[in-house]
Amino acid sequence: MSWLKASFKHEEGDFSLSLALSTGRDISVLFGPSGAGKSMTLKLLCGLKRPSSEGIFTMGGRVIQEPGRWVKPRDRSIAMVFQDLALFPHMTVEENVSFAISDGDSSKCSRWLNRMGLESKAKEMPHNLSGGQRQRVALARALASSPELLLLDEPFSALDTPLRRSLRRELKELHRETGIPMIYVTHQMEDVCAMGDRVFLINNGKLSGEVDLKKLTSSDSSWHHLGWGNMVDGDLIKDGGVASFSWRWGRFYLPPSIHEEGPVSVFIPSDRISIVYPSIPLDPAFSGNKVNGRVVERYIMGRMCHMQVEIGEQLWQVEFPSTSYESLDKEEGSDITIAVRPVDISIIPKDRRNFGED
Amino acid sequence: MGEVGLPPGGATLTQAILISLKILVVDVPLMLILGTGAGWLLAKREFRGKDLLETFLMLPVALPPAVLGLYLLMFFGKIPFFRSMGLLFSFPAAALAALIPALPMVISSARTGFQAIPTSLEDAARSMGKSEITVFRRISFPLAKRHVMAGLALGTARALGDFGVTLMIAGNIPGRTQTLPLYIYGQVETLEFAKANVAAAILAAIGILSLRFVRMMEANR
Repeated sequence: MSWLKASFKHEEGDFSLSLALSTGRDISVLFGPSGAGKSMTLKLLCGLKRPSSEGIFTMGGRVIQEPGRWVKPRDRSIAMVFQDLALFPHMTVEENVSFAISDGDSSKCSRWLNRMGLESKAKEMPHNLSGGQRQRVALARALASSPELLLLDEPFSALDTPLRRSLRRELKELHRETGIPMIYVTHQMEDVCAMGDRVFLINNGKLSGEVDLKKLTSSDSSWHHLGWGNMVDGDLIKDGGVASFSWRWGRFYLPPSIHEEGPVSVFIPSDRISIVYPSIPLDPAFSGNKVNGRVVERYIMGRMCHMQVEIGEQLWQVEFPSTSYESLDKEEGSDITIAVRPVDISIIPKDRRNFGED
Repeated sequence: MGEVGLPPGGATLTQAILISLKILVVDVPLMLILGTGAGWLLAKREFRGKDLLETFLMLPVALPPAVLGLYLLMFFGKIPFFRSMGLLFSFPAAALAALIPALPMVISSARTGFQAIPTSLEDAARSMGKSEITVFRRISFPLAKRHVMAGLALGTARALGDFGVTLMIAGNIPGRTQTLPLYIYGQVETLEFAKANVAAAILAAIGILSLRFVRMMEANR
C-alpha cells in the first residue's frame, strides 16, 4: 500500500521533470545518471522548489500539495541529508544537531549524539571530523528533527567503499529502529542493490519505472538501466526458419523459437559473454555468434575480470572469471573476439526499450 | 545658502574630529543595515529589475564626487518636497554625503559574502522547519559576517574621508558640517600645514587600521 504519492511536473529552463512516485514506509531508492533530475525530485518533495505546474503530493494521508494548496518546507516535516551534508560550519556538532530540534526537547540532541557514537565529538567543529563522522552528524541532525520522511541525496558518494558499506548498514538499522520512511538517491549500482526495497529509475527528467530487484532475473534488461549489461539496437530477421539479430557491426543467431521480425533491441548480460581463445575451437552452443572488438579497459576485481570492449561505436561490458584471464594475453588496446550463446540474448519488448524515456 | 563656502579658518581640530565621529555614529549602523540588506537581496534573490537596482546602488562608485554632489544638490534643492526638509548645508546632509559613496563598498562585500554560502546550508535549515528570518539570523548572517565587517571597515574609512560630496551638499561650515577632510583643506588654504598634517595623520591612521582589519577578516575566513 502506498504511503507516499506524488505526481507533478516541473520545468526549469530547458529541463523538464515529470514525477509519478508511489512508495511505502520502507527505503525507496531513486536511481539514475547524473543530471537525470534526482536532486531536483528531492527538492520538490521537500518543498525547497515549488513545482511549475500544479500536482498532487500526499504523505501518510496528509495532503502536502494539491491544486490551490502548497505546504511550505517548514510545515512538511520532511528532513533531508544533502549531498554535501550541509553541516553548519560555524556551529559545533552539538549545536548542529540542536538546531534541528524545534520542540524544545534538548534530551533529543544527546540521545542522537549517543546513538550515532558522537558523544565525544559534541564540542568539535565539523571541519575537525572525519568523513564518516560528518556523515553521522548529518544523519543525527536530520533524525533529531523527528521527520515523517527522510530524504537522502547521495549522502555517501564521497566516501571510500568500506565506509560507504558500513554507513549503509547503519542507515538500514536506523530505518528499522525509527520506522521513518526514507528515499535514498544514488547513481551507484552497489547502493541500489544493497539498499533498495523498491528502486525507481529516473532518466532525462522522467521518473516512472519501479524495479523490484528481488524479481529481476540476470537476463532482465532493467539491469542495463541500472548500469550493467549491454543493450544493442538492430533488426530481427527470420530467414527460412533461422532467426537472427543483425546490427551494424555483426550478426548473432537466435533460438529458433523467435518468430518476430523488424527493429528491436536485445539485452546481453555482461557475464554471459565469452572470450574466444584463438587456439580453442568455439563451442557449438555459441552457433558461431562471435564478433571482433578492441579492449579499451580491463581490471580485475575479486575473482572477476572486467573489460570494456569497443565494438563499432559501442562499448560492451564483459565479465569473466579472473583465473581464465591469466591465460589470456590481452592488453588494453589489443584486438579481441567475443562470443554469445543464442539463449543468452534477450529480445526487449518495444514498451520496455527506453525505460524512463519518452 | 548664505553659509556656503570656505570660511577663513577658525574651526578647531577637535570640532572637526567630533563632527566626523558624529557622522560615523549615524552612518555605521545605517551602512550595516542597508549594506547587509542590499547585499543579501542581490546575492540571494532573483527579481525583475535586479540589474537596474544593482546599477543604481553601485553608481556612487562610478560617478565623480562632484557629479554625485551636484545631482544630490539638485535633488534636495530643486524638488519642493525635499527642499522643504531643509536638509542642505546641515549635519544630516554631511551624514548623507558620507554615507552615499561608502554604502556600495559594504553592499559589494556583503554580497560576496552571501554568495559564498552554499545554498544547501540555507536549504537544510529551511527543511528543519526554520523561518526565513531564523535562516538569516542563525545561518546566512553569521557565515557572511566577516565579509560584511570587512566592507564596513572600508566603508567607514571612505565615509570619514569624503570631501567632494560633503562640500557640495553640506558645505564647509566650522562646527556644523566641517569634517576632517574639509578641515585639512581649510588649513591648507590658510597655509596652516602643521594643523593640516595632524588631521591628515589621523585619517591616514584610520585608513591603515581599516585595511589591517580587512586583512584580518580575510585571513580568518
